[in-house]
Amino acid sequence: MALSTLHHVRFAGMASCMPHRVLDNVRDCPPSQRSERERLVRNIGIQTRRICPEWQCFSDLALVATEKLLEELQWQREDIDALIVVTQSPDYLIPATAIILQDRLGLPHSTIAFDVNLGCSGYPFGLHLLGSMIAAGGVKKGLLLVGDRCANVKDPLFSDAGTATALEFDANASPMHFDLNSDGSGHKAIMLPAGGHREPFGVQHLIPKRDEHGVLHWPADLILDGPAVLSFSTQRVPPAVQRVLEYAKVEKDAVDYFIFHQANRMINETIRKKLGLPPEKVPSTLHDLGNTSGASLPVTITARLHEALATGRHKLLLSGFGIGLSWGSAVVDMENARFPAMLEA
Amino acid sequence: MTVSIEQFIEQFNTAVDFQEPVDVTADTALRDLPEWDSLAALGVIVMFDVEFGKTITGDDIKACTTVADLHKLLG
Repeated sequence: MALSTLHHVRFAGMASCMPHRVLDNVRDCPPSQRSERERLVRNIGIQTRRICPEWQCFSDLALVATEKLLEELQWQREDIDALIVVTQSPDYLIPATAIILQDRLGLPHSTIAFDVNLGCSGYPFGLHLLGSMIAAGGVKKGLLLVGDRCANVKDPLFSDAGTATALEFDANASPMHFDLNSDGSGHKAIMLPAGGHREPFGVQHLIPKRDEHGVLHWPADLILDGPAVLSFSTQRVPPAVQRVLEYAKVEKDAVDYFIFHQANRMINETIRKKLGLPPEKVPSTLHDLGNTSGASLPVTITARLHEALATGRHKLLLSGFGIGLSWGSAVVDMENARFPAMLEA
Repeated sequence: MTVSIEQFIEQFNTAVDFQEPVDVTADTALRDLPEWDSLAALGVIVMFDVEFGKTITGDDIKACTTVADLHKLLG
């Protein structure tokens, strides 16, 4: 399919929530690794991150974001027809987190609720899925909850966040344009290898190995093939962005903001330079908020643009890419939508 | 576009961003550089892409022994 357009879908608002706890990639790293870490921080561009306390799930953050958004929009809970959760950090392997949240949010039994397993690329895919349900006419108001609990102390990239986006049927809404792609041949580039049916958990996954720096690694830890992810992102994303802009008949200059998944500074700067975009049109939250996986588009919009977008009409290019491998972009108009300031929980 | 080995080494030093700068020549073996690691390799991939408009992979870099071998990837 790749390219498609949705009509009659209005972007009504967005809220993001992050945990209070701040980790500093240099200050909080062991002194023996500090010099190497300083160099890493310069290159990935991530100084501080947010991390959940032990008890907190992604869904707890998404719940706070959703409650605030519903309050701002003054939407009635009985009017919510669909609740889609895009996460790779569910409360449980089964059942789906979206159904648990239907109950926690006090939404009616008539709400359609299910999860989608996507990570860094997930936001445009979730927008398209919920948007399609609304464009088809059955769903009048829907919520899209995107985010992950992916931070840990030793890995300097990832940061935790939960977000909520509200879409509604509106016969006068501007069209949304999408370009969505998948390449499963790259599924080993980012993966959690153990715990599924291909490789069930066993005692062998509990025995860590120490690397040359003395850091322990478990066989079930996240695998991330840096060169493969960098090549994929910098080769696939710029032409995909060009393609969706051409399809939407939108010039680059007519886009107010380009919001990219916040992967790391090397990847994001390469994409920005290849597309010839000025830094002021490409907001970043890498330095202070880290790589928030699928939440990074809403987190960046909330943290950097919630005041700029509060009034008037704005055209945004949204682009997510990563695990799968999977990459998607959308051209979306936002007018008089609600953007509460960043929440903490 | 012809890039001399001297120009290439200058770009290489910026791309690898070592904490402790070292003298690099065409014959320097990559594995002899104390801070040559996966991050440096990522920097080199980005350098080829942004500075020279050339796509290379991690495997291309693994096949190189010296800085001059990397320079030859420019074709």
